[in-house]
Amino acid sequence: MLKDIFVTPFADMVAAPDFLLQVLWEGLVSGILYALIALGFVLIFRSSRIFNFAQGIMVVFAALTLVGLHSFGIPAWIAVVLTLGVMYVLAMSIERVVLRPLVGQPDIILFMATIGITLFLIGGGEIIFGGENKVMITEELGIPTGDSVLEPWGGLLILQHLDITVVVVAAALVAVLLAFLNYTQMGRAIRALGDDHQAALSVGISLQTVWVLVWFIAGIIALVTGIAWGARAGVSFALEVIAYKALPVLMLGGLESITGAIIGGLMIGLLEKLFEIYWGQPLMGGNTETWFAFVLALIVLLFRPQGLFGEKIIERV
Amino acid sequence: MKNFAKLAAAAAVASITAGAALAEGLYTPNLAYRTGPFAATGIPLMNGQKDYIEMLNARDGGVGGVKIEFEECETGYSTQKGVECYEKTKGEAIVTQPWSTGITLQVLPKTNVDMIPILAPGYGFSPMMDGKTFQWAFNVPSGYWDGASMILQYLQGQGDLKGKKIAFLHLDHPYGKEPLPLLEANADTMGYELLPIPVGLKEMQNQSAQWLQIRRARPDYVVMWGWGAMNAGAITEAVKTKYPMENMIGVWWSGHDADLRLVGDKGKGYKSISWSFPELESQAMADIKKHVVDTGKTLSNEEEMQGVFYGRGVVMSMILAEGIKVAQEKYGVGEINAEQLRWGLENLNITEERLAELGMSGMVAPFSTSCSNHTGHSGGWMLEWDGTKFVKVSDHLSPDTSGYADLAATKAAEYAEANAPWPVNDSCGG
Repeated sequence: MLKDIFVTPFADMVAAPDFLLQVLWEGLVSGILYALIALGFVLIFRSSRIFNFAQGIMVVFAALTLVGLHSFGIPAWIAVVLTLGVMYVLAMSIERVVLRPLVGQPDIILFMATIGITLFLIGGGEIIFGGENKVMITEELGIPTGDSVLEPWGGLLILQHLDITVVVVAAALVAVLLAFLNYTQMGRAIRALGDDHQAALSVGISLQTVWVLVWFIAGIIALVTGIAWGARAGVSFALEVIAYKALPVLMLGGLESITGAIIGGLMIGLLEKLFEIYWGQPLMGGNTETWFAFVLALIVLLFRPQGLFGEKIIERV
Repeated sequence: MKNFAKLAAAAAVASITAGAALAEGLYTPNLAYRTGPFAATGIPLMNGQKDYIEMLNARDGGVGGVKIEFEECETGYSTQKGVECYEKTKGEAIVTQPWSTGITLQVLPKTNVDMIPILAPGYGFSPMMDGKTFQWAFNVPSGYWDGASMILQYLQGQGDLKGKKIAFLHLDHPYGKEPLPLLEANADTMGYELLPIPVGLKEMQNQSAQWLQIRRARPDYVVMWGWGAMNAGAITEAVKTKYPMENMIGVWWSGHDADLRLVGDKGKGYKSISWSFPELESQAMADIKKHVVDTGKTLSNEEEMQGVFYGRGVVMSMILAEGIKVAQEKYGVGEINAEQLRWGLENLNITEERLAELGMSGMVAPFSTSCSNHTGHSGGWMLEWDGTKFVKVSDHLSPDTSGYADLAATKAAEYAEANAPWPVNDSCGG
């Protein structure tokens, strides 16, 4: 037994390095997608202390809007622009109709409001788009769908061009977001709100503007995530469940940390894949991905309750 | 807007039927799921079921001159909501159609007390074939063990399975685990190695770990028990990992046209065992077009109606209607009750001639039920994706029921013991 845990997995890795590379690549692709979803949560939490339960359904809604608009004959990239417009209108509506009347209410009320938004988007989405699985307009968007087959160490490594594109686009989006948050006035306003609400308001930062902006950014992230996941297995309401994969990322990285979301996502993507392939499948019958990330996050929380990158809260009593 | 109009029509139909159910007619609720993660696979089935009943009501005034009040209660494939729907509809119902093995397992003990037959065509707990133990449950015309048996038989026809490796990719859910006892039992007798690979609900759309396992294990065949987004996820991963499609076979719930359309030509060769087949030129389909589609009562569309799942939904409602007809003839009344329908479902005799009369030749294989046989074991066909649609690639396949009759009896006895006191139909010979 000890050999199966401590020796065999590593021997397998050395014996088939091409397969290990494939596992790491798949983990990286999953990880960067988890990080993207987690970023949507973090941005909204930082600026408004709201845990946005609707992030998952926003992914579905954005992807369905894109596919739906294209089905009316609108060219793919114009459909993308129009979808971004829809996500902006959605952000404004949420701020105006849901959040503004609830300013100053306890966090749990705002959280419950996002559950309401989720139910509204599920119902509305099903009325407008129907529940059928739809094909993502991958080729129409110019996203490559072929693959490159490499033979490292005489083995086999298959790299899907779609996955490469996803990694590149997601990395670029993260870089742009970081630049926006660190080097623009509005980005600094978002961070200021996250650091100290009262102080930010006192220097004239508009809560309404920032909220609309972060919900819109979350909408952009939702669209990119929706395209990436939808291209893999179609666009349907089943996409919503992938948002739950971001929860352990948030626990691990910390709800307030953008760096934490990125590193947490990548860590979970890579580690859960390695664990599943080299320990989970041979020793536990597989399907460990459903719980591994949560166990990992719980272990981290035992030692760092604020997550790996979360801010330690010190309260005077 | 098209969908909005459809949903408005559905709401109107639901409210009309719900109201009417209390007034008159035969109330036959369907615990449907048009929403949630599994909606994509549920919708065409529900549409097929609904349209056939609509057609009977419009063409014949129902069955035996009595209208069928077909009401849907939305479960979203949630077991909890399914049980709520059962409780909500059982008062007037002459049948319950639980959809999902999870819901079926939950309502199974309740139906013994409430005395309402469960009609679970092609799903549910496989030992329900034992009518003596499960007197209120019917999984006609084929159960999951029938499906697994037919798949093994087909694979055996491709070459001896001794020494072969079969990966069993399945949803980590009661439904996905259903055929495991049979596959495990046959692994010993047939000499193949079984590799069960579960897929969690959250992993349905990202099965890279499962397909890495398949790549590493190099199984000769992949048998899939998938549902909802898992099907599309598996098929796209199979294409991605370059697994030979011709060696991949799904159960009947993994043979949905829309899932295969995602990969198109790349899915060529993928197979699915099926107890139904869409005969687009059949009289039944023509009547549905005339009485339901042309009158604007359908929620379906032309593309969906050509698919395997819509046709299967039609067959499901045909089975229900035949059960009602048989009961009406036996008891000499139009408005039968649940107990009388149970008798009807237990005495189905769907012959080639009867299928021809119904205008459904080729849509399902002939089968009959009895006191001890609540499944019918119709058998089916191996279907193959040709890049645009599913086509038949085998003659009629029959399950080897003798190979698992003992297993079914054992599992039924275990179930009865675990749920004691469990009423058994002693008048049934066994």
